[in-house]
Amino acid sequence: MKSLRIKLPLLAAFSAAALFLTGCESTSNTTTIDSKGPESLNTAEINSQDWARAADELVQSLLASSALDNAPAKPAILAVDRVINNTTLSVDTDLLIKKIRVALTQTGKVAVTNTMGLGERAVVAQEAAEMEELSTGKKQKVKAPHYTLYGKLIQQTARDGKKTQNTYTFQMSLIAVKSGLTVWEEEREIAKLTKRASVGW
Amino acid sequence: MKTLVSSSLRARLTAGLLLGLGLFAAGCASNVNTVSRAEPQAEPNLIADKRVITDNTLANAIRIVSVNEGVASSNLKRIQVTIENRKNSTRTLSYKFEWVDENGMAVSSPNETWKTIRLLGRETTTISTIAVTPRAVDFTLKLRE
Repeated sequence: MKSLRIKLPLLAAFSAAALFLTGCESTSNTTTIDSKGPESLNTAEINSQDWARAADELVQSLLASSALDNAPAKPAILAVDRVINNTTLSVDTDLLIKKIRVALTQTGKVAVTNTMGLGERAVVAQEAAEMEELSTGKKQKVKAPHYTLYGKLIQQTARDGKKTQNTYTFQMSLIAVKSGLTVWEEEREIAKLTKRASVGW
Repeated sequence: MKTLVSSSLRARLTAGLLLGLGLFAAGCASNVNTVSRAEPQAEPNLIADKRVITDNTLANAIRIVSVNEGVASSNLKRIQVTIENRKNSTRTLSYKFEWVDENGMAVSSPNETWKTIRLLGRETTTISTIAVTPRAVDFTLKLRE
């Protein structure tokens, strides 16, 4: 009986220790999340949610301006010009441009031409046109764009003690090819404030 | 003696009350005061809405004031929702607009995303969207904290 009385606290202590150790054990796991949802990681860089937000706001601004309503033809033919990345991030600007292209094409107001503008796609389209010309003997008529879309990404960094603010500016302009006039311009900013963790003991 | 004690107690109570008021006023520091035209010239096209509340805390903190419908770029539906922070503290809200076509099918867009907005104490602001296709006729606004 006495030995049982001694063993019981020991047993309880071992059980508690085992439970504690089990609690500490962590296994890595991966969860599929909505890349544009609130669960996506928010870092000092531009995340998937930021790209989508910037693209959405730029498209909405363009649609609200009714600039495309004055196009000489419907749908208006749009060529995507350069998107200059002036940030320290090595990013593919298609993350922004593709979203804008898809949204604008969905509106039915725009058809994006691939015969000029971004290098690789333009070469492929040109080669396809040449092949068609060789096989049919007819010169392919390439439609000239009515508008070109030009963009720029800018990063500004400000530091104050342990705080760092990265402000990313997304600039975009729509230029009427014939007149050379800018018919729409917009600028959207996403600011990220990061506080450096303090070292504690 | 009794008078002395009661006056001392009164002084402490007054000091406590003043401190409380001070703290209360400090808590309201992020609140927003506004001024606008007494008789607005804008004539919004306010539409009736249906609300499904599954988070009462959120519904008590953020009030949907009105839903305004318009047209952008000649044939695209445009929605603007006015929201109000009913609390004195700054609140962060996530929202997302979703569109449905005339057949009741969801219209997806690569830009359909949760957006975050910060509302200062008692601030009223608007959130808006434009449908990316003329087929979109109805919308749903989702809100979460």
